[in-house]
Amino acid sequence: MRIFWSFARQAFHNAAIYRFDYWLQLISVFLMMYSVHWIWTSLYSQHPAAFGVNVAQMVTYGILGMALEAIFNPGQGPQMYIATQLKTGGIDTDLAKPLDFHLHMLARNFGEILFRFGTLVLPSALIGGAFLGLQFPASPVAAGLFAVSLLLGYLVLFALNFLLGMLAVVTLDIRSISWAYNSLVRFFSGQMVPLWLFPGFLGALANVLPFRSIYAIPISIYIGKLNGSAALEALIFQSVWVIALFIVGRLAWNGVHTRLVVQGG
Amino acid sequence: MIHVDNLVKEYKRPVRKEGLFSGIRTLLSRDFAVKRAVDGISFHIAPGELVGYIGPNGAGKSTSIKMLTGILVPTSGRIEVNGLAPHKQRKEYTRQIGVVFGQKTQLWWDVPVIDSLRLLKDIYKVSNVEFSRNMELFSDLLDLHEFQHTPVRQLSLGQRMRADLAAALVHTPRILFLDEPTIGVDVVAKERLRNFIKEINRERKVTVLLTTHDMRDIEKLCTRMMIIDHGQMIYDGSVEQIREKYGRHRTLVVQFEREIPEFSAPNAECLKSEGGKLWFRFDRLATTPSELIAYISTRYPIIDLAVEEPEIEDMVRAIYGGS
Repeated sequence: MRIFWSFARQAFHNAAIYRFDYWLQLISVFLMMYSVHWIWTSLYSQHPAAFGVNVAQMVTYGILGMALEAIFNPGQGPQMYIATQLKTGGIDTDLAKPLDFHLHMLARNFGEILFRFGTLVLPSALIGGAFLGLQFPASPVAAGLFAVSLLLGYLVLFALNFLLGMLAVVTLDIRSISWAYNSLVRFFSGQMVPLWLFPGFLGALANVLPFRSIYAIPISIYIGKLNGSAALEALIFQSVWVIALFIVGRLAWNGVHTRLVVQGG
Repeated sequence: MIHVDNLVKEYKRPVRKEGLFSGIRTLLSRDFAVKRAVDGISFHIAPGELVGYIGPNGAGKSTSIKMLTGILVPTSGRIEVNGLAPHKQRKEYTRQIGVVFGQKTQLWWDVPVIDSLRLLKDIYKVSNVEFSRNMELFSDLLDLHEFQHTPVRQLSLGQRMRADLAAALVHTPRILFLDEPTIGVDVVAKERLRNFIKEINRERKVTVLLTTHDMRDIEKLCTRMMIIDHGQMIYDGSVEQIREKYGRHRTLVVQFEREIPEFSAPNAECLKSEGGKLWFRFDRLATTPSELIAYISTRYPIIDLAVEEPEIEDMVRAIYGGS
């Protein structure tokens, strides 16, 4: 466990170098939260009953969706690190460490995510709460379940990203695939538009895919749209995907390690 | 300590497709090109040895080092280091070894050296006592304290290499693999790196396997040298043996009073002439320098002379060429 903390500390040292970058990110999150707030309030002023939840819940959903971008952006996953290390040949310094590669990538990424959560998500949520109508969780229970669900959502995203990283080991280039993958995740995770607003077949598809673990489930729990046994079922859904994807990821790594090509030197 | 038997590594590279969705098409394609990078290498290294591992570019040095460090999985053959199979027991194994890849760094680019070392301390679960003892050693021998608070991207190459050596030794490994540790480093910094490697090997009894293209590294550090080419071992033995086998020729450089035409002496051929200076190449088993000098001095007055020993580099070139 200590290693997770060590990587978080290192991420902090690393990110502290680029302060300008940090402020820029915070400002861009703020702008996105502002636009989402504005879009939903004006839509609700036209059709107050068309979206299944009240306006306060929907604004909270939208703002959280933007605030969580800092930790749920698939573009910051381990696959990017793996692809870079493969390209530069730096992957051999990673493999020369006494760490399980899968867990090493998790620790490295989670350390960063922990740092980004503290420095980007929390401040954005505070700004959202103070100025843009982000509400508190629906209940203390919802708050607790939200925290668990957020962690599970992160693990699902990590596991999916790791699998994409495994693809990078085979193809040595995942730029074109990454682009499609990122759009897929954004769309089916319900970051922008809640999944319950999707039309029939799309909604059904989104419900079985793992992506809704990422934004849709935690946020729906937070605003009280998912509660009671439905919330617990959703957590089980997330857990099953976490386990399944971690197993697949491990098998994939065992498979590609034997055919690993280290470039350069 | 290190046992390698009939080690083979073949690379199967997918033949890349061009154009739209090239990534996916490369993935689905069945075209592979096979390259045998390491082709049946065997050797043993005893504890405390300092072995030079050389060969021309693309000979398979780095690939063998990567298999020895557990990074790459061998296609066939056996590696056993300290009773462990590197790629199978990678986690346990990498705790006992240190690795430096001269062309890459394991340090975080943007943060001060000391932060990377502290992360490594946690990764290898090094105790505080051991860590501070090692840091002291690095300060003494590598002057690490001079730049440990500087971000890696601002270090000179020589400093970066010293920092990387320190990083490889944070956990006091018993075996050190150095892949071109002196590459691109200036003469003074090279000397310092060599002294450090020598010191670590002598004082701490660390077994060292080092690859390099600089034969002076080998001359200064190693008693044993292994040469590979085209993935096969073409020489494994002492540095002196190489001298005896391939270094029979000497060059006698003679400075005459005035410019004279080129001429040959018995058992010696004239290589070149330049402003009254002649170079004679001779086989030291066929003739001696004194015989040669005696013969030459009867023909023209000599001002100055010197006997040049062949450089290891020339011998190695002869070996690469002759294989």
